[in-house]
Amino acid sequence: MSPMIIYHLVALFLLCTGLFGVIYRRTLVGMILGIELMLNGAGLSIMASAQLTPTPNEIGQVGTLLVMGIAAAEATLLLAIVLVVTRRFKGVEAARLATMRG
Amino acid sequence: MPSQSLAYAVLFGHVAFIVVGALMTVLSQNLVRALVGLIMTLFGVAGLFFLMSAPFIGLMQILIYVGAVSILIFFAIMLTQSWSSGDEAQGPSRKRAVLASLTALAPALFLGLTVIFKSPPSLLVAEETEVSALGRFLLEPYILPFELISLLLTVAMAGAVILGFERRKQR
Repeated sequence: MSPMIIYHLVALFLLCTGLFGVIYRRTLVGMILGIELMLNGAGLSIMASAQLTPTPNEIGQVGTLLVMGIAAAEATLLLAIVLVVTRRFKGVEAARLATMRG
Repeated sequence: MPSQSLAYAVLFGHVAFIVVGALMTVLSQNLVRALVGLIMTLFGVAGLFFLMSAPFIGLMQILIYVGAVSILIFFAIMLTQSWSSGDEAQGPSRKRAVLASLTALAPALFLGLTVIFKSPPSLLVAEETEVSALGRFLLEPYILPFELISLLLTVAMAGAVILGFERRKQR
């Protein structure tokens, strides 16, 4: 097993755990944790693909940096959204966030 | 060769750290404990970046993720009061656990088989890139993504501030 396969399997594990967490958690904050796991897996996969093949290294490193920047922006916005949701619905349970239920 | 087996031991140590942290993140009942698991995972991934001889990105991972993003998530946990006594207290139903496992297994199966059987040959040791080369790369050919990420961060911060303001009730 080459090292790149190991890195990619770890990234895949992070993706699957994040997906599991997004569905399994009841609250929005728990879902954010799952999303962060998935983003981390994406960064790890990009980095492994660029560092361990003859591709120029800068592409992978800059790509991982961009993923981190997007994660930071996303976390900021999610915090604001969660605050608004808390104020309006008095809780962050995902099943209760419905105003028009048929 | 002892140094190679030592390298593999370090690699699998980091992998074990990541696996334990991720499972803690997903399965823990207490959200604060789940956040601790997430921080464990982030440190493990930073260690993997160091092992791939990209120390700058590893440091950035620790600074941005562990320093900024997890603090933001901790604020979210505190401000929504969703810790153990809150909404997350009673565990999810079994049906939801089954659904979540199926959802997680589908990409694991397909992508896992693809990764194992279709992977190109890999180098054993990555060569290190200087930070100055990285900066030149970011400011010459990749200037547009660099400016776009700055714009995205600015817009996200402004949007967060606007969302955070409470609008006055109009009577």
